[in-house]
Amino acid sequence: MVRNKRVGAKASVLAAAAALLLSACGGAGVDAEASDAPAGDCGSYAIAMHAWVGYTASAQVVTEIAKANGCEISQVTLAEAGVTYDAMESGSVDLVIEDWGGGRWQEWADRGALVEVGENGNIGLIGMYVPQWMADEYPDITDSANLNKYADLFVTDESKGKGAWYEGPPGYTTIGEKMVSANGLNFTVISTGSEQALIDVFTKADADKTAAIGYFYEPQNFLAKVPLARIKFPANDWTDPEQASGLTDYPESPLIKLATPKVMDANDAFTKIVKNFSWTNADQNEVAADIESGTDPAVAAQKWIDAHKDIVDGWLK
Amino acid sequence: MSEVSSAISVNNLWQVFGPNPEKIVGSADASLPRAELREKTGNTAAVRDVSFDVAPGEVFVVMGLSGSGKSTLVRCLTRLIEPTSGSVVLNGEDIMKVSDARLRELRRTKFSMVFQNFGLLPHRKVIDNIAFALEVNGVSKEKRHARANEVIELVGLQGFAYAYPEQLSGGMQQRVGLARALAVNPDVMFLDEPFSALDPLIRRDMQTEVIRLHEELGKTMVFITHDLSEALKLGDRIAIMRDGAVVQMGTAEELIANPADAYVEDFTRDIPKSHVLTVRTIARPLADTETATGRTIPAETIIRDATAAVLDANGPVAVVANGNVIGYIKSRDILQVVGGGTEA
Amino acid sequence: MSVRTEPIIAITPKRISRRWILGGLLLSWIVLAQFLRGKATLELDNPDNSPFTTWAGEVADSIRDNRTDGAAFKFFFNPIREFIDGFVTLSRELIAIPSGSSSIPVLGWLGVISVIGFVVYAVSNIRMATAAVALTFACGALGLWTDSMDTLAMTFAAVILSLAIGIPVGIWAGLSDRVLKAVTPILDLAQILPTLVYLAPLALFFLIGPASATIATMVYSIPIAVRLTAFGIRGVPTSPVEASISMGTTKRQLLQKVQLPMSSRTIIMGVNQTVMAALSFVVIAALIGAPGLGKPVIDALIIRNVGEGFVAGIAVVLIAIMLDRSTSAAISSQDTFVPPSDADRKRRRIGLAIAGILAIVGIVLSRQLAWAAFFPKQIDISKQIASASDSSVKWVTENMEFLTAGLSKAVTVGVLNPLESVLANSPWYLTVVMITLMSLILGGIRSAIVSATLLGAIVATGLWYDTMITFTQTIVATLLTMVVGVIAGVWIGRNARAERALRPILDAGQTLPAFVYLIPMLGFFGPSRFTAIATGIVYSIPIVVKIVGQGIRDVPVNMIEAATSTGSTKWQLITKVQLPAAKKSLLLATNQGLIFVLAVVVIGGFVGAGGLGYLVLLGSSKPELQGKGLVAGFCILLLGVMIDRIAQYMVARNSAPKH
Ligand SMILES: Nc1ncnc2c1ncn2[C@@H]1O[C@H](COP(=O)(O)OP(=O)(O)OP(=O)(O)O)[C@@H](O)[C@H]1O
Ligand SMILES: [Mg+2]
Repeated sequence: MVRNKRVGAKASVLAAAAALLLSACGGAGVDAEASDAPAGDCGSYAIAMHAWVGYTASAQVVTEIAKANGCEISQVTLAEAGVTYDAMESGSVDLVIEDWGGGRWQEWADRGALVEVGENGNIGLIGMYVPQWMADEYPDITDSANLNKYADLFVTDESKGKGAWYEGPPGYTTIGEKMVSANGLNFTVISTGSEQALIDVFTKADADKTAAIGYFYEPQNFLAKVPLARIKFPANDWTDPEQASGLTDYPESPLIKLATPKVMDANDAFTKIVKNFSWTNADQNEVAADIESGTDPAVAAQKWIDAHKDIVDGWLK
Repeated sequence: MSEVSSAISVNNLWQVFGPNPEKIVGSADASLPRAELREKTGNTAAVRDVSFDVAPGEVFVVMGLSGSGKSTLVRCLTRLIEPTSGSVVLNGEDIMKVSDARLRELRRTKFSMVFQNFGLLPHRKVIDNIAFALEVNGVSKEKRHARANEVIELVGLQGFAYAYPEQLSGGMQQRVGLARALAVNPDVMFLDEPFSALDPLIRRDMQTEVIRLHEELGKTMVFITHDLSEALKLGDRIAIMRDGAVVQMGTAEELIANPADAYVEDFTRDIPKSHVLTVRTIARPLADTETATGRTIPAETIIRDATAAVLDANGPVAVVANGNVIGYIKSRDILQVVGGGTEA
Repeated sequence: MSVRTEPIIAITPKRISRRWILGGLLLSWIVLAQFLRGKATLELDNPDNSPFTTWAGEVADSIRDNRTDGAAFKFFFNPIREFIDGFVTLSRELIAIPSGSSSIPVLGWLGVISVIGFVVYAVSNIRMATAAVALTFACGALGLWTDSMDTLAMTFAAVILSLAIGIPVGIWAGLSDRVLKAVTPILDLAQILPTLVYLAPLALFFLIGPASATIATMVYSIPIAVRLTAFGIRGVPTSPVEASISMGTTKRQLLQKVQLPMSSRTIIMGVNQTVMAALSFVVIAALIGAPGLGKPVIDALIIRNVGEGFVAGIAVVLIAIMLDRSTSAAISSQDTFVPPSDADRKRRRIGLAIAGILAIVGIVLSRQLAWAAFFPKQIDISKQIASASDSSVKWVTENMEFLTAGLSKAVTVGVLNPLESVLANSPWYLTVVMITLMSLILGGIRSAIVSATLLGAIVATGLWYDTMITFTQTIVATLLTMVVGVIAGVWIGRNARAERALRPILDAGQTLPAFVYLIPMLGFFGPSRFTAIATGIVYSIPIVVKIVGQGIRDVPVNMIEAATSTGSTKWQLITKVQLPAAKKSLLLATNQGLIFVLAVVVIGGFVGAGGLGYLVLLGSSKPELQGKGLVAGFCILLLGVMIDRIAQYMVARNSAPKH
């Protein structure tokens, strides 16, 4: 069976391959039908996708606008910072629309792998948060000086007899360990690994009225659903997380756009969009809320674009 | 030694398995019994110092218990195993000295082998198994199939050319093995216990087949077996191996009549002597008390065949070779061999 | 191997004394750990580097700086990367991404399905072909057509490249003892290496993107191809080989005409295993930029969208089933060398011709008509599946909390914390000495030397504490896995019906990427070490159950009959006869369980389990900690080797002849 079947199979595979080649040479008829996108003079680009929904909102809006202007866009999901910068260096990603890295990309920029394009309009604020009910019940808890007083409330099986301090995911800018040791806090830092783990922690703490202290940030639509209170540490004195003493709070930081030189040199529609894209935390939250409530990101982005024609047109100039 | 008169000439052949085979041959250890040698040096002397000649057209049988080194010996003759030392001359060519290419050529054209477990290629049809040696030698498909069909006929496998080995019975498979070995029309055939995997009835058929083929084609054969009756049936001469060495070599009659040692004798014990020995071996001078009957019998007569005539004679019968009386036998002599069992 | 001559009786007192020594050691360890708690634990805060990790970071930086101009990159790494990238792009353009100037891949969805149907029919039969078509279609119906095709294309590219290397090397290793000896340690190592470990180093040399992902996949799957090919060549019976040599074949003729055709079955089995290995890499490869189904799974993990991750996981399983069944159908069509009758052949040829025509029609349609090019959006059941799985996880989380929380608490407080306080929170020298002594008792002097060396190396890296955290989780997860696995294994080993019922679940469990259930686990247990442990358990149970079940089934019938005839109860039969007789399988299962658990416990870094896995993730994101991440990967490797060696020595010790 083997032999003769193979002969038959071989012949038919050859025939199929030939047919394939023929119809391929003939060009796909589908292209004629499907070319509803306006033929713009725009290249093909890959946008880095990151895990948090705010990022998705920004990236999706850029994607939709670029597509509408004839660019070919693909999305590549990657962890933040290092991996993504590497991906930009290798050319597999062209744009980070929202970077929180505190300038850690400098090394890559020095090598010419990527370019800082400027701020994207969003202001990022990282901090340590407790559920609102705790702030209501223990009003002085939001002052970092009083944290030790309440440390016992936060003890879990995971926290070795001290309070459990839920730290942000590995890719995020985090200085939790430094904060704990510099301020002599009686807490154990627990690495949550993912933003969703934090969301779980807070959701649960809010629903069950249990204690939790953890890393969070704005803009984040989640804050609208589950009220959190920010712990105040002494005023901030740093920008580069590596230099942080840990004694002070996270700074407010304008978020940055990063692109490859390829984007900057192309001077096409995508270059314009990337250079000009800028929107507010409220804008982002609006799209993010839609996405979170189950709307397809592309649809949510399109809805915002349609409602803000003037802003979008401004970006395209 | 006359290379011309012998098809195969083997001299001082050694095969030692183990960590340092070369060091054994010629050393004092070489004469140690096999087990001691292994204990002492970790080497196994599978073939030790074997020499023999095989005449063209002769069937030379090698016998011995399991592990005595028969297979190793026959593989050394074709260099399937590289012998440790010694020489093997086939048709005047020392195959120990030939290049790899020449060795392949010899294997493709001059000698062939038949194996105990057939060694057929399961993914090829009978005809392609048989034509394999021709195929690897670059013979065109048409020619090699024609030749294969010839030998298929020769071994009686008509109608099975396009079957696959697994569709055949064991006996038929070994016919394919035989046909494959015959296909290249070799000068010498080596058969390593070709029939021991077959059941007795089929084995007998196949033995008859080999005898027929030998009579028809006159090939020189080296035939390995551990079955004495097979050896007697097929062999012109028999070599008996033990622990790698040849302990005795000769015709069946010589071995049975004059076993070199208890090992050889053990081998021959179960064979009815009357079926093998000729009257020559029991002929003796006439005793003073006897008088010849005047009847005669040729010296080459097998005892069994002489029984009736001798019993009938009622007295000593003269055994005649080349017209001369070499001795006499009486019914008592015959009965001693036939009934008395082992004492010759 | 030397045969043991001591009488059987002598073993019993010896074993008891060994047990006593072990117990004594454990006790003294626990007591000492209490006194010395928290001293010399070598704990290193996450943001800090050790001298060794700093050095590793500098090395990584210098490699990075070399990427554009370094000769090694210019003439070695970059060409390889470009070649593989090109190859991957080619295969993606065939089915997944727009090719050239066109807006569709070379094959639209109908074309892909037609080709799959045709190819599967050609290598097996109509039933398999129908199933393959249905499964592929289902991936589309899950709303994941493009991602599925990307996965298929990536798998295809990685498999082709793996086989292109693995089969020749395997053949070589099959023919030469020396080569086999040289590659075996590498193959062994590749088998115990958790996949997460080599992502970062590969990305350092081949950058982030499909090339790195493909190479990582190849690292994982080539050893399998090599192993099975070598095994196949070596499995060819000697007599046909010898007969062929005796007929004057050259080495090449022997290989082509005898060894390869006769080992084709095993080699195809190797292809099957290679495909499955490559596929199981899909999700983890997404971490370094591989396109395909891994993307939605990782996304779903990060934004904890149980439903979406589950849907993508189903698609992975569907593709796995499709590839597995069609390649193994190709194996069974190799069962016999005898071809079918002429009539069958004719029918077959007609079938192939029809299938071929259908395939061509499908291809042409898929290039000409939109409905055949783009998978219809109307057919999408992903929402339903996603919400069903969402709500069931939600239901469990909400209603079974007493159970999940109780379980988590019991294990954490009862087992994990005490063990951690002994292993990680006592002085490093105490742990090193104790582990070395224990492996001396369990595995003999060689395993003690290996343990001491590897532990010493871990101490030297500066990541001792995190390694012990990971080690603790691995041990706890393995213990629990073995408890569940042995019970289930005994059950299916004794009960053929149970075996049949459970097998598909076990098979699916083996192909479902661990990331998929990491998400609901996170929901059940929150960010904790137990989440990682539970995931490790779920991941490694199938293999353990299979091995134990097989071991129980392999216990000779006469042994059982003898025991039954002496009136043993079922319980006695299991504990006194079957389990002891299956001891070797149990050890093997433990070894496999440990390795599998380790592979998953490290991805527990995603869910708050800390330890080495977290450091690997940290290193990939935070440039200043990249050295630490690389070293953490190295420590996982050392840990894996140590576990494997101890287990191997134990197996060797216990399988020494006793009769
Ligand atoms: N490759 C090898 N390496 C080591 N020892 C070997 C090897 N081949 C054979 N021997 C040893 O050489 C001796 C002779 O073996 P051989 O196969 O020639 O015996 P035999 O007479 O053919 O036996 P049988 O009747 O069982 O076929 C045996 O002791 C065997 O163990
Ligand atoms: Mg033999």
